[in-house]
Amino acid sequence: MDGNTSIWSSDNYDPVSIKLCVKKLKEEFGQQFSDSQSILEQHTHTMTIHESELPNGVVFVETKEDVQKVVNICKEYKCPIIPFGVGSSFEGHLNAPFGGISIDMNNMNKILKVYQDDLLVVVQPGVTREQLNTYLRDTGLFFPIDPGANASIGGMTATRASGTNAVRYGTMKDNVIALEVVTPDGQIIKTANKARKSSAGYDLTRLMVGSEGTLGITTEITLKLYGIPEVIAGGRVSFPTVKNATDAVIMTIQAGIPVARIEFMDTAQVKAVNNYSKTNLPEAPLLLVEFHGSQSSVDEQSELFGEISSDFGGKDFEWTSNNEDRNKLWKARHDAYWSCRAVRPEAELYSTDVCVPISKLSDCITETIEDMEQNELIGPIVSHAGDGNFHVALLIDKNNKTELDKLDEFLVRISERAIRMGGTCTGEHGVGQGKRKYMLKELGNAVNVMKSVKEAFDPHKIMNPGKLFL
Amino acid sequence: MTILDINNNSFYNKFDYNIEKAVEALKKEFGQQFSISKSVREQHTSTTTVHTPELPDGVVFAYSKEDVQKTVKICHEHGCPIIPFGAGSSLEGHLNANFGGISIDMNNLNNIIEVHPEDSTVVVQPGVTREQLNTYLRDTGLFFPIDPGANASIGGMTSTRASGTNAVRYGTMKDNVLSLEVVMPNGEIIKTASRARKSSAGYDLTRLIVGSEGTLGVITEITLKLYGIPEEIGAGRCTFPSVKDATDAVIMTIQAGIPVARIELLDIAQVKAVNNYSKLSLPESPLLLLEFHGSKSSVKEQSELFNEISKDFGGNNFEWNANIEERNKLWKARHDVYYAVKACRPEADYIATDVCVPISRLSECITETIEDMEQNKLFGPIVGHVGDGNFHVQLLIDPKDQNEIDVANGFLERLAHRAISMDGTCTGEHGVGQGKKQYLLEELGSAVNFMKLIKEELDPKGIMNPGKIL
Repeated sequence: MDGNTSIWSSDNYDPVSIKLCVKKLKEEFGQQFSDSQSILEQHTHTMTIHESELPNGVVFVETKEDVQKVVNICKEYKCPIIPFGVGSSFEGHLNAPFGGISIDMNNMNKILKVYQDDLLVVVQPGVTREQLNTYLRDTGLFFPIDPGANASIGGMTATRASGTNAVRYGTMKDNVIALEVVTPDGQIIKTANKARKSSAGYDLTRLMVGSEGTLGITTEITLKLYGIPEVIAGGRVSFPTVKNATDAVIMTIQAGIPVARIEFMDTAQVKAVNNYSKTNLPEAPLLLVEFHGSQSSVDEQSELFGEISSDFGGKDFEWTSNNEDRNKLWKARHDAYWSCRAVRPEAELYSTDVCVPISKLSDCITETIEDMEQNELIGPIVSHAGDGNFHVALLIDKNNKTELDKLDEFLVRISERAIRMGGTCTGEHGVGQGKRKYMLKELGNAVNVMKSVKEAFDPHKIMNPGKLFL
Repeated sequence: MTILDINNNSFYNKFDYNIEKAVEALKKEFGQQFSISKSVREQHTSTTTVHTPELPDGVVFAYSKEDVQKTVKICHEHGCPIIPFGAGSSLEGHLNANFGGISIDMNNLNNIIEVHPEDSTVVVQPGVTREQLNTYLRDTGLFFPIDPGANASIGGMTSTRASGTNAVRYGTMKDNVLSLEVVMPNGEIIKTASRARKSSAGYDLTRLIVGSEGTLGVITEITLKLYGIPEEIGAGRCTFPSVKDATDAVIMTIQAGIPVARIELLDIAQVKAVNNYSKLSLPESPLLLLEFHGSKSSVKEQSELFNEISKDFGGNNFEWNANIEERNKLWKARHDVYYAVKACRPEADYIATDVCVPISRLSECITETIEDMEQNKLFGPIVGHVGDGNFHVQLLIDPKDQNEIDVANGFLERLAHRAISMDGTCTGEHGVGQGKKQYLLEELGSAVNFMKLIKEELDPKGIMNPGKIL
């Protein structure tokens, strides 16, 4: 297969057949099925600049048997299926470019079993991360992955999500032990048992994690849990330049300080926060850190980090292990999203997601800031600096064609810049529709291998078509 | 569900192999780099275990990725099996040529291509061994932690998803490979990922190749994560009244968030064997060996915390020391287990089992296994990577005693069934190879069909290491 040739084509899907499929699903699912316009609109992408593409119907599933039934019917009619969680994805993952059925997983929201001694939990995909952590509170355990939004565990699995504490706890790929999946031919498989490691054959768990609903529908997820840290300390420090800040991050990691979060904000983001939150942080690049451990361990980590940051020109390092004070120190990060919106309230926010080797992070951020200045774009930056991942929160007037064109060109340049630096166009948001055009540039003919895997699992291409690659 | 016979190669029987023509073409192409001498071929099979060696028809000594690509293209054209060969230390018959074909010796692809100290990553060729890598890295202050015991090649470790004594802290190969370059079965060279520390760019081909045992392609470059050499390494040992007390102490240690770097269990038979071989006088009861990494004060704190926990579970004689000499002495017991076991019965063959269960089931699994050996008059000291729930029975079997071989075979089957029935796996780190194929269906059910679909799609001629995994 040629990487440039799209495997997606509307010729694969017959509108008449999709109509018959809708009819059949309506008969089978009654109240659990809807094709009202408002429900259809809720089940496509509303968060970003991707145009909404509506499905033909929505099934609200309650059980894995429901999921299996939907897949078996859709298989018969070769009708696309798009799994839907909380709808917080960014890259058009939930759009229905070829029509079809959105399968709403939100009622599959049970926490099935906590294995306290094994530090594992089995959940249904509609469980949200906040729901899970609320439920776990009494056990002394927690699930660390935190992408910001209160996403569903199914959606986080599908996009290989991560967030602020991946530097310590990894991404979804590192925290999913096993999956139960309804495959495109309607079988239910489990990808692994509950051992913490295994060398038993191909790693189907990791193949499904990040596959964005294109290889099957997840119906159960076994996750790793961690003991809630005895003490959490937080800190904040400003740097003269981006490079000084990222050098401090590199040194922190090399020194083996097990930092739990290490977040960067550029000057524009700090200004935005100052305006929004009425704070007076120095208008310079900022690092926010969090340390987990015993009291003496977080004390030691904080002090070590303080020394490292001052070696790189860090100023006014403040830290605390008092929860309330820590929240105050971190307020700038918590307010990042809303402070951006306040910079240009009428604008749409579009978030980029490149990730580069950390040695290239300051170059990549600096060139990106220059690029925005040259092109008169506004986009404050936050970065999960420990991973080399950063987000430009571009503020764009959707009704201004010139601005939209400039945005498109900027997005191409930032992706190509990251790829040129040995990085990726997407660190944690996924490919969806928005990043497809960069896949070939980033991964070359490996994309053909992905297409082959897709072909092996889903020869009729009914699972979330039009996503992941062209 | 039927259990596959160990020699069942029904999946591979559909492939039509034409070896003679490939051998001719390779001879012509590679000259001195190609050998069909009996002694060379005998060296290139599985020789470390009870699996009967099955010789390849020839051996290519590859020096470059182009050599690999050429070999694969010739074998692809003629339909000739290819078996990648590293240090030859695998345990499950991975290197046998049960359909004949070509062994491709990767040992001359042993360059460390580039170290990126700021990114804590290194790019190596597959023939680099882990000791070679760590010797090379010493001056950088970085190290590569995965330690399967043998001085295995990085390519082989990648292929079997290896781990070892410090997986509890640093993970397995799946967690430490960032990206791979692979010659696919059709001769195309792909790169599975960028060098970014995390990515959501499409299917996780890296993790698909890790653990695929040479059945999906030949690895030619590996990008690995590195870690700062810990400022301080402390070691400890502690005896327990029972296996259950020891594993309960392990569970509590992990729940308490103590970032233990190694935590190894020796059962009574193993302790006795070590005492005899290494002239030590360890108390004859279950023993835990531990290692802690961190700053001086952190290592001290970890040791003290562990000491408290161990006392709660009847542990006594906890000794710890951060002094290198003392530490080495303490760990000598662990490093010598292979020889200590062999010395128990010098004329016997040695089989290492490899089940892995959720840690809550570990003591039950080990205890039942010891009882099973007692009932059946088998001798097999046990060591366990208990933080992962993985343990090895080192069975000593007289290869000339058919009755004993039959009893051993019965035991191996029961052990695998036991682990699987406890929601574990038949292989935690050695891989499937030929030896564990018969358990895969029992463990993973119809998921195995999807492995077959992937294999058929990526390797339609079935040339890559046939007769393994599936």
